[in-house]
Amino acid sequence: MSALSDVTSREQAARELLSHYVRVVDDPERVHEWPDLFADEAEYVVVTRENLERGLPVAVIRDDSKDRILDRVTVIREFWGAGGRLEDRHYNDVRPRHLVGPVWTEPAEDGSVWVTANFGVWLTPSADPTPRLLALGEYRDHVVFTPQGPRFRSKWVILDTAVLQDVFVYPL
Amino acid sequence: MATVLPRASGGPPVSLRWPPEDNRIPREIFTDPDLFRWEMDAVFTGPVWVLVGHEAEIPQPGDYKTISVGAVPVIVVRGGDGQVRVLLNACAHRGARLVEGPSGNVLRAGFRCIYHMWTYAPDGTLQGVSLPEDFPAEFRREDYGLPRARVATHRGLIFASFHDETPPLPAYLAELTEGLDRVVGDGRLRYLGSVKVVFRTNWKLYVENIYDGYHVTALHTGFQVVRLRSHGGQRLVPNYQRNGHLWGQSRSTRVDELRPVLRDMSLFEVRTKPTTDHNMIVVFPSGVVTDYFDTIQLRYVLPLAVDRTLIEFTFFARSDDPEEVVRHRVRQGPAVLGPAGAITLEDAAALERVQTSSVARGDNVVLKGTPKRFPPYRHVDEAPIRHFYQAYRRLLGVADGAPSQP
Ligand code: FES
Ligand SMILES: [Fe+2]
Repeated sequence: MSALSDVTSREQAARELLSHYVRVVDDPERVHEWPDLFADEAEYVVVTRENLERGLPVAVIRDDSKDRILDRVTVIREFWGAGGRLEDRHYNDVRPRHLVGPVWTEPAEDGSVWVTANFGVWLTPSADPTPRLLALGEYRDHVVFTPQGPRFRSKWVILDTAVLQDVFVYPL
Repeated sequence: MATVLPRASGGPPVSLRWPPEDNRIPREIFTDPDLFRWEMDAVFTGPVWVLVGHEAEIPQPGDYKTISVGAVPVIVVRGGDGQVRVLLNACAHRGARLVEGPSGNVLRAGFRCIYHMWTYAPDGTLQGVSLPEDFPAEFRREDYGLPRARVATHRGLIFASFHDETPPLPAYLAELTEGLDRVVGDGRLRYLGSVKVVFRTNWKLYVENIYDGYHVTALHTGFQVVRLRSHGGQRLVPNYQRNGHLWGQSRSTRVDELRPVLRDMSLFEVRTKPTTDHNMIVVFPSGVVTDYFDTIQLRYVLPLAVDRTLIEFTFFARSDDPEEVVRHRVRQGPAVLGPAGAITLEDAAALERVQTSSVARGDNVVLKGTPKRFPPYRHVDEAPIRHFYQAYRRLLGVADGAPSQP
């Protein structure tokens, strides 16, 4: 494979990882698959643009290790009784819907790929037919290539909305 | 000098049904928009001290942040003289909002109104007026400073009051002072940031939930999953004969005795205190102060509408914390107590459900711990909620339903 097409295929693979991510986070029954999309060393951070720009360290979510990323699924399923199972308590019985795009990719010298994308997340609660706009913002992702395939080394979710419009269960 | 806001007078402009028993809460108080408007006046700009921040949020001269006191938008600002003031965030000319963002610094530039370019010093005095020719002869700049609230601080906690008859802060807080001191220590804190979220509930349901010790193990499944419980504790209601704050104290299970269902259990870890004792405090009517685990948190309860309340969760470290302690606090705080926190979401879910069904009329009932008429209560009791509503009814001028003193 030529160097050029190798870069192109890596960028393509990174985009596909993002599409797959959206599929997983939109489906409450697949939330346990979410950590598989991250590398063994990884972070998932949700932060408001306001705190980021002021240099304040508090984030909405700061899962700064694979352990914490795996724990999030335990919290979602065991603490919050969510994940599409019958016995769930449904604290927040919603169907999330991510709208993502455009997506930009930028290959790095070390073979990894930076991916940025605009996103919005809508929630449709089962008890209320009116969809709620939960958050709008930007993904800043770093995708690395492992023997298993492309994985997120880091996923930063930067929220334009300094005020979250709702509490939320599933990953953004 | 404090400026008293023009206020409505007399009793509530709405007819308020209140059952004779003080453990019954009429549901219409969560849905009546006229009552909501009355509360913004009678409660939030009434004779109360509203928690609006901590000095660590505005450490430098000229630093400001915006917040509201009930429905009144304000700027909390540190002047060039180091003094903290609370100014109305509305131009004294024709009312344009002065600052839009959540925070900034105005030491050099002051506050400049975009509409007709009036400028105010960081202390709120009017400094300049554009093109003042043809103003009335009696116009004096001194008459057009930004209206100010009264301000009092305790260990860096900033309180504002728009009422002339609010008692001095130490009298208002009474024995709650000791609880606040346990959380904020000597008051030297470092601000770590905030997270804001809209709860789809009336502000009173949010506040009464903090007074309620009954729901804690029932609602917060996470506690059951890791087998975290309270090993003793109590719910005090400092100054209950007047304003009814809450001071909940409890000791939770040590992290090494919990069921280790998470790979990283630091969420529940206490590293900075000798015991797992913590305080959960409400400074009536709308300030929440807690030192749960290692998290030092203030919450500002900001009513937006009768069924929507903005909760701002602010997080702090102590000024002399080593960096690894700061890092621990940064990781733990929002992961436990924040919109994506392991024990916060459930409150939002429950409160939204109470709000939604409040249109059903009828009464909510407070039972657990109510055979006891006066504090202290057990930490698992919901009885303290009665005192919140007694204080609330006093401000509204509705007979408070409180039993005679012991
Ligand atoms: S409204 Fe501010 S200068 Fe006119
Ligand atoms: Fe709770």
